[in-house]
Amino acid sequence: MSNENEFTGADILLKALKDQEVDTIFGYPGGAVLPIYDAIFGQNFLKHVLVRQEAGAVHAAEGYARSSGKVGVLLVTSGPGVTNVVTGLTDALMDSIPIVCISGQVPSHLIGTDAFQECDTTGITRPCTKHNYLVKDVSKLSETIHEAFKIASSGRPGPVLIDIPKDVQFAKSKYISKKDISFREHRIKAGSKNVDKNFVEELVIHIKKSDRPIFYVGGGCLNSGHQASQELIKLVNKTNIPITTTLHGLGCFPGEDKNSLGMLGMHGNYEANLAMNKCDLMINVGARFDDRVTGRLDAFSPDSIKFHIDIDQSSINKNVKVNFHTNTDITLTLKEINSFIDSNNIDFGDKDYSNWWGQINEWRKKECLHYEQGDEVIKPQHAISRLYELTKQKDTFVTTEVGQHQMWAAQYYKFSKPNRWITSGGLGTMGFGMPAAVGAQMANPDSLVIDIAGEASFLMNIQEIATAVQYKLPIKIFILNNEYMGMVRQWQELLHGSRYSESYVDALPDFKKLAESFNAVGVRAKNISELDDTINEMISIDRPVIADIWVDKKENCFPMIPSGAAHHEMLLSKYDKENPENQEKGKVLV
Amino acid sequence: MSSTSVYPTPINAFKQSKRSVLSVIVDNEPGILARIVGLFSGRGYNIEALNVTVVNVKKNISRITIETLGEEKVISQIIAQLEKLVPVHSATNLANLSESYEAEICLVKIEFENEEQDQKILNFADIYRSRTVQKRQNIVVYEISGTSERINKFLDDLDTIGGIKVELVRSGPIGLGI
Ligand SMILES: Cc1ncc(C[n+]2csc(CCOP(=O)(O)OP(=O)(O)O)c2C)c(N)n1
Ligand SMILES: [Mg+2]
Repeated sequence: MSNENEFTGADILLKALKDQEVDTIFGYPGGAVLPIYDAIFGQNFLKHVLVRQEAGAVHAAEGYARSSGKVGVLLVTSGPGVTNVVTGLTDALMDSIPIVCISGQVPSHLIGTDAFQECDTTGITRPCTKHNYLVKDVSKLSETIHEAFKIASSGRPGPVLIDIPKDVQFAKSKYISKKDISFREHRIKAGSKNVDKNFVEELVIHIKKSDRPIFYVGGGCLNSGHQASQELIKLVNKTNIPITTTLHGLGCFPGEDKNSLGMLGMHGNYEANLAMNKCDLMINVGARFDDRVTGRLDAFSPDSIKFHIDIDQSSINKNVKVNFHTNTDITLTLKEINSFIDSNNIDFGDKDYSNWWGQINEWRKKECLHYEQGDEVIKPQHAISRLYELTKQKDTFVTTEVGQHQMWAAQYYKFSKPNRWITSGGLGTMGFGMPAAVGAQMANPDSLVIDIAGEASFLMNIQEIATAVQYKLPIKIFILNNEYMGMVRQWQELLHGSRYSESYVDALPDFKKLAESFNAVGVRAKNISELDDTINEMISIDRPVIADIWVDKKENCFPMIPSGAAHHEMLLSKYDKENPENQEKGKVLV
Repeated sequence: MSSTSVYPTPINAFKQSKRSVLSVIVDNEPGILARIVGLFSGRGYNIEALNVTVVNVKKNISRITIETLGEEKVISQIIAQLEKLVPVHSATNLANLSESYEAEICLVKIEFENEEQDQKILNFADIYRSRTVQKRQNIVVYEISGTSERINKFLDDLDTIGGIKVELVRSGPIGLGI
């Protein structure tokens, strides 16, 4: 009889999850995780959400994490279970989303024998996780799990995987609770806790001196927590500096505020990109100078002094050289900037940047997001605008798939709070949005969760509608159905002589009937007169709904900075022609 | 180590490439070497030489020395990426230290055919103060240490002797800040 203070590996896992305050886990069973599933069977603190494919589990965990600020957790079996989550792990790594993936492995004595459903899990996932472990000794399990959670959520967050051989799930050991673990600091990479006073002072001096300053805010601001965005709002209000955000920064600053220039980058606003191009002071708050944002590097904001706040040292000077940087947490740094300004009574009243705002307002007059809605066919932009108007009073979370609809959502849906906008940016994973909506709804059961989808992307993880139905998650799938891989079609039109090679989505299902066959609800808008009613109907139904919105098939997403072009070379409409030299160079880029 | 390869070398790594020796202190745990090597191959950096050994058995710490080529910006990015790896305590470019010492060890086995060659070999071995590990009939094995540059020179000099057969192994450079 073994010691009563000893528990099986499976029980230790559950104890550790409880200790970490995990109450939801997304998973799919299989031979190598059966002992863990057995432990799940006998408890009630942890809600297991059975997805329909492991890809669904990982994106759901991402959606859960993004919408709640907590670590998302998933459980998959060995071999195909784990290879199915490789895309999602990569997605979470690119977009800095804290998730912990538990995978089963064949028993220790079979590792290396090409056993049934064996794969080199740590080998396969090493480049797509922040860290990973193979736990060979059950006495190390508690410590490993606690470290994994710490690493996933510290510094620049990311995915961590723990591979547990089946025999280790059965083996017994003591459980060590979270509070009894002392982490080794060098492994946690939490970033500095000390604000760089010199950075703060230099920044304030430069703000005072500059004529054309701009805030460039990214997902790091989101990951630093809600307080970061509170401090940012304070700072912008004090200084009257214009602010643009990246795709992931949307919501860190209210999109309808007068100081907001909206999103920048490839499909960013004209005024945002031009302001970035012409500014003399750039204050980067948790953004990483991604190529979708910078356009052609040698023409990126040529005349500005650049300040960069980022917890990730490797993001500094990687793509763009900056003049000043700090690796301290954004909340701490912004707080210090605000209190430095206050305690020194620095007044920006005389510095209202009126010339700069004058210039920006000229650019705004271009109305780069203008579109013509006729009285028959629904323009996709209009569909999003109406969706926004009809849902903005509600407590809403929006996820997306990848393509034109995603960019239109970013352009026309305005976010006023962080964590409300959940999209796959770095990896651009089609099939992300629907499972992410499942995760967001699990974390926010009383909120309205909408996946703004393209019909092609939706088909990639369509099986998860069954998950939504089983757990009574009233998510809304709002499909901008253009019967095309619209974004692919757009590039083919602009760069490949309108040769629409394999971008038509033929043999589409009838989404209404499809919804019904899953025991969800299907609604449809075929033309403009049906749009508002369809949206209202969708919102009013307290069940999963698929809304099939038929939109203009040939609409393109503008503004657009073609690959390889600079910020000031953006195309505003299909009538703008691209510089042919850029076009040849841009073709080889993605 | 040869830098010619059938695989193309990333262009940016060779712009004003400079040789750097990086010293990386890590927890000696499974997969650490794979993490480091994967980081280099995944991001298109070069590894010219690599040395890994436990240096503190009690604390289970290894020191990894990597010789790499790249312009300064790339090297700083490599360092930043290395320092993001969980088991890495620190990564240092020895060139950035005010003082550092570098050494490499090389074992050379030489087969010669005649007295004249033997004399020349002996002469070079003497100049470079290499240690004789083994000598029999027409085979001699030397151990030579010092900077990589010094070993290169020794090997170049040996090369000037025609008709001998050389087989060798090198540890790659190791180094310490002082
Ligand atoms: C998994 C995956 N495969 C391929 C792509 C390349 N891709 C980007 S957008 C897109 C088309 C998306 O079509 P749809 O979901 O209908 O959205 P639309 O652009 O029409 O709004 C494709 C194929 C991708 N991003 N992800
Ligand atoms: Mg489409």
